[in-house]
Amino acid sequence: MHERVPFPFALLRFWAGRILPMWAFIGLVIFLMQIAICAIVHDNASVQTFLKFLDVLPAFIKTALGGEMLRVDNVSGLILIGYQHPLVLFLYLLFAVGVPTTLLTGEVQKGAMELILSRPATKTQVYLCACLLTLAGMLALVLVMFLGTVTATHLYDFGQPIHLDLFFRIAVNGGLMACASASIALLAAGALAGRNRAVGATVAFLVLDYFAWIVAQWWPRLSFLKPATLFYYSSSPKLGYGWPVGNMGVLLVVILAGSIIGGVVWQRRDLPF
Amino acid sequence: MATLEVRSLTKWYGPVRGVEEVSFALERGEIFGYLGPNGAGKTTTLRCIMGLLRPCAGEVLALGEPVQPGRATRHDRLGYLPGEFRLWPGIRARTSLRVLASLGGGDRAQSRRSELAERLELDLDRPVGELSKGNRQKVAVIYAFQHRPELLILDEPTSGLDPLVRQTVLDLIREAAHDGATVLLSSHDLSEVGAVCGRAAIVRAGRLVEMGPISKLIQHGEHRLRVWFVDATLAPPVPLGQLPGVRVIEQQPGQLHLAYQGACEAVLRWVAQFPVDRIATPQTSLEEAFIQYYKTEPPAALRVTTTAAVVAGTGSAPKGDQ
Repeated sequence: MHERVPFPFALLRFWAGRILPMWAFIGLVIFLMQIAICAIVHDNASVQTFLKFLDVLPAFIKTALGGEMLRVDNVSGLILIGYQHPLVLFLYLLFAVGVPTTLLTGEVQKGAMELILSRPATKTQVYLCACLLTLAGMLALVLVMFLGTVTATHLYDFGQPIHLDLFFRIAVNGGLMACASASIALLAAGALAGRNRAVGATVAFLVLDYFAWIVAQWWPRLSFLKPATLFYYSSSPKLGYGWPVGNMGVLLVVILAGSIIGGVVWQRRDLPF
Repeated sequence: MATLEVRSLTKWYGPVRGVEEVSFALERGEIFGYLGPNGAGKTTTLRCIMGLLRPCAGEVLALGEPVQPGRATRHDRLGYLPGEFRLWPGIRARTSLRVLASLGGGDRAQSRRSELAERLELDLDRPVGELSKGNRQKVAVIYAFQHRPELLILDEPTSGLDPLVRQTVLDLIREAAHDGATVLLSSHDLSEVGAVCGRAAIVRAGRLVEMGPISKLIQHGEHRLRVWFVDATLAPPVPLGQLPGVRVIEQQPGQLHLAYQGACEAVLRWVAQFPVDRIATPQTSLEEAFIQYYKTEPPAALRVTTTAAVVAGTGSAPKGDQ
């Protein structure tokens, strides 16, 4: 009779401690970024200068930052730049890719995984630890981002009401998108040998997905590509007035599928110790 | 019931053979040597026993339970020392060992850990990355022994250690076995295997080629004969053509050192023709025996030196048992 192996909470705590500095740094930058964006938006003259500057740049850059939402009279649209800014997206990508690949393939390469798996901890439990920390960390980061917006709306007067429920919906939906990206990284970390390969495969997938989404928005002939991209499901117009349940469902399926398939492959393959 | 039983274990890495049809069993309190050169399949066997690799065929029973790959079978009662011990370099050895000991329950190894560190003269409060190779190996020894396991799987446990510490580690192994633990000791160091193991197996190119008590393994192959003649200038030519299996190791005036295989009757009859002062039969070392196993072509099947001792407790003889 196979005895049940207790869950390795010690490993969960240890890994949480190891990724905490990275999480805190990214969270702080994203938080300050929201306040900085709100500070700019709050100053009408700066906004007009910024929008004029955007108009002279290639159209896809404006599309990437919010497109037609970027108007002087649309304060919420301008604040949302902070949610789609390339730096913010890069930081999310850094966490989504960095954590699972560091905890899984990284520990295998460093030799610690052989020791961890020689103790009472199953491969599935170890994968679950990495999965939990990645997904919970991503969700916590989007909540920090939302908290930045909440703080900024208390710091600055925008001359019009700011509907925080809109930002909360966008943050939650963005969180699901971030978790979907992380699940791709989990799948890569579970399936590929070597950290660099896992990072490379995930980054390549997400960058292609992102640019496919941007190009599909900007070039009508390629608009059919939109539903094939993950980013499409994180930016539904329905977010303006309610929860895009369908899109959220798609992202949830991607999260579950990526994480579960990654876990099954991780459990079944021989690790390259 | 055997504490550890390996039955027809086979592992291929694609077209490359890791191990094939390896079978042996270890009784409680036994120290079993697992010998072989680099790439022979020792580490593959140990990793299959730990469930770190998925065998292609065969099975392993650890403490009576079938090992399921990746399922940490009985790992709370197993101690493992990998061949290449690598740990988080920036973290103190004490913290790393505590985290690993805490997996599967609270850290109950604190006092034992301190005791082992003291015995091995190791400062656990330094980051692992700052430790020398020998001191990292001491951390590995503490990792394997700290939770008083019932079954120890040790891959080159004394690698990189100075002779004094090596002796301490061998003492630890003996003490563990004395307390009832079973030890599988994979090693290149034949002197340490000879010093602590009761039985050993020799693996070559993924196959078990010999298994039995150390004393029997040593007797395998060539035997030695040293002859001193009464006449200190005598150096008779050895008729190698008439003495099959005999070779001259060294010949000096008045002295002859021979190696022979099989019975010594023919050699002694030839030697008796001359006035002999004295004769000695030097003990073959395990190292010499080991080298002989590798000088000859591998047998198609395993030779079990003492069948009863080898398969004791397994219920069935390993495949190829003669």
